Amino acid sequence: MKNTIDILKFSIWTICTGLFLLSCKITPETTVPAKHIVEIKAMKFQPAELIVNSGDTVIWVNRDLVAHDVTEEPGKSWTSSVMPAGASWSLVVTKSADYYCSIHVVMKGKLLVQ
Amino acid sequence: MKNNNFLKLAIAIVSVSLVMFLTPAYSQENPKLSDAEVASVAVVANQIDIDYAEIAKKRSKNKDVLKFSGTMKNDHTAVIGQAAALVKKLGVTPKDNAVSQKLLANAKKIKTTLNSTSGKSFDKAYIDNEVTYHKSVINAVESLLIPETENPELRELLQNVLPALKTHLEHAVMLQTKIANK
Repeated sequence: MKNTIDILKFSIWTICTGLFLLSCKITPETTVPAKHIVEIKAMKFQPAELIVNSGDTVIWVNRDLVAHDVTEEPGKSWTSSVMPAGASWSLVVTKSADYYCSIHVVMKGKLLVQ
Repeated sequence: MKNNNFLKLAIAIVSVSLVMFLTPAYSQENPKLSDAEVASVAVVANQIDIDYAEIAKKRSKNKDVLKFSGTMKNDHTAVIGQAAALVKKLGVTPKDNAVSQKLLANAKKIKTTLNSTSGKSFDKAYIDNEVTYHKSVINAVESLLIPETENPELRELLQNVLPALKTHLEHAVMLQTKIANK
């Protein structure tokens, strides 16, 4: 009787372990999209250059005294519109881009999708 | 043409005198300012550039100049707002003083000169003055206003304004080159 229970326990353990290992193997590799913060501070994008994965979210936070925006260049294919002091804006990034502040055109940044 | 040369000379004279006044190394005496007087100079200096921007809005048709002047108006208005909120919090009343008065006197001359020009001459005169004005104000903030300020919050506000002034200068120099090459 005891022998039968031990065999049953061992069988259940083997099946569960097998299923677990199988599920690990067949589950596709997924990465959770990350969130990145770019501070707009002292009239600079900090960091000015950011490496991200496709699908990651970048959040720009305006910590300056004055309004800014975040605008793709050269085509202006996306823009935050005016961000007053203290405002933030986010974008799901799918491709690399150069961007600038169209209010203060000497302020520039770069997104690199790896 | 002769008139144009006169305008250039007038702006140059006023601008140079402004730089000389605002640069302690050139002034006969390094003025001693209280925090209330520093606050007054800061507000006056910002308001002067807003006034120049208002003139540009009326007299220029150049889209780059109009956009730049709009930015000057918005940014300097934001700085005045921050300064006003801080002096209210600190219970300080900005106090008129010799530096504020001199700034206003020079600005009056420059505004008269700017108001007498139009078209491309105006655009050049306005941007040239913005370059000179921002250089002199940056110099004054770094070598006069920050060292003279005792209150740490007022000093911090002045330090926080410097990057904006330097970005304005960089933008103005870029426009100056663009206008000169047109």
